[in-house]
Amino acid sequence: MVSKAKTFSSVLTLLAIGVTWEVAVRLFNIPQFVLPAPSAIVNTIARYSNYLLYNLADTLLASALGLFMAATFSLALSVVLAYSDSVREAIYPILSGFNAVPRAALVPLLALWFGLGMVPRVLTAFLIAFFPILVPTLTAMITIERELWEMLVAFGASKSQVLVKVAIPRATPYFLSSLHMGLTSAVVGSVIAEMVASDRGIGYVILSSTSRLDTPLAFACLLLLALITFTLSKVLSLVERRVARWAYRANI
Amino acid sequence: MEPLVKIRNVEVRYDNRNGGLVAISGVDLDIRQGEVVGIVGKSGCGKTTLLKVIAGLVRPTRGEVIYNGTHNGGGFRGIGMLFQSPLLLPWRTVLKNILLPIELRGEDVDSYVPRALELMERIGLKGFENSYPWELSGGMQQRVALCRALIHRPSLLLLDEPFSALDAITREDMWMLLQEVISYENYTAVLVTHDIREAVLLSDRVVVMGGRPGRVKAEVTIPFRRPRDLGLQYGREYNDYVAKIRSLLGD
Repeated sequence: MVSKAKTFSSVLTLLAIGVTWEVAVRLFNIPQFVLPAPSAIVNTIARYSNYLLYNLADTLLASALGLFMAATFSLALSVVLAYSDSVREAIYPILSGFNAVPRAALVPLLALWFGLGMVPRVLTAFLIAFFPILVPTLTAMITIERELWEMLVAFGASKSQVLVKVAIPRATPYFLSSLHMGLTSAVVGSVIAEMVASDRGIGYVILSSTSRLDTPLAFACLLLLALITFTLSKVLSLVERRVARWAYRANI
Repeated sequence: MEPLVKIRNVEVRYDNRNGGLVAISGVDLDIRQGEVVGIVGKSGCGKTTLLKVIAGLVRPTRGEVIYNGTHNGGGFRGIGMLFQSPLLLPWRTVLKNILLPIELRGEDVDSYVPRALELMERIGLKGFENSYPWELSGGMQQRVALCRALIHRPSLLLLDEPFSALDAITREDMWMLLQEVISYENYTAVLVTHDIREAVLLSDRVVVMGGRPGRVKAEVTIPFRRPRDLGLQYGREYNDYVAKIRSLLGD
């Protein structure tokens, strides 16, 4: 757990950065469309709060749906691939190959197939978030120590028992921590999709505001998005420590 | 009486990149009911391989293992195993770790709870049933592993250098505990170790293995009546046995 002193020093550092930024912008007369001062960004957030929140909610919904799909699918696929060596050997190389495809480049195709609505955004979020969750989860499931495996076999464990009683519990903390990576990936995915093919969401707002040289609005979007992703990540950490307390034994 | 385990002319060959490696060859060994057999040998002499053959984890490439009169290629029922590391599952409490073999055998777990608690008390773990393994010291973790190896009253207890990771004092405590549970429930046990003193103190018979390929060099019967006392170690006769086995091991 982060101590109060550490939190305090982080806040202090952040404040110092903000003040330096503000002073620098004013001192060097930097035009607002190049780099808006923090005060201008905060003003913009206050002025456009309804509009921003509406679009933010839209982006978050797409990200959340994409992340949920990615988490469910990764977990299910990990179990299947951990259980069957032959299926894993057949499918895993294909998955890795797919991971090499730049998913952002798929957005125009997704838009072509599914239109400008929620679907291409959710799918992009899913496609980007899926692999970072699958890899650590599956690896944790298939790397049971030889000795432990021998012990289980000596006690008469079947393959499915090893999977249910050891592999899956063992992978739980890896799965949960990969959700952090999945969360940020999903947000990146939906924002990209919104920039390419959407008429709403934070990605769309960033794109349209920069094209009008409304840089404070773009920064407001970035700030809000970072804040909300950070908060969600913290929530995930709490869940992690509750569900897989044993994995954090050094810090209890 | 028919031996519990008969090992006849067993050979194990591992295939590796350099062709084959014969780990053990021409091994004959009987393990009788109620007996504690120590297997000593230098590292790489195949003693762990022999134990794995008995456990059914490794299939012999030649020869056979006859268990209680039946031929069996692998996976004997009724084996309890203790390894060098405790291999406890960190997400399970001590009690649930101990009950794991019952779960794996698909038996009624609840009905074994009283036995688990009794074993824990006997082995000095009373009050730790709801602790997690990582809250215990190495010696205590190995005690949990011992309870787990015994929970289902195995007809054969296999010990693979179970105390070599412990400090000397804890190890002596564990010797006495092991001896007590073996006598109390009249277990048949095979103890693989590189510690001759441990083998002599705990075994009725010590099998000396030689290496490359692993084979049985000699068997030495240790006549001291069980249970034995730690003080035995300082006696002349005990040390004569230790010296004899040491010389049988060779250079």
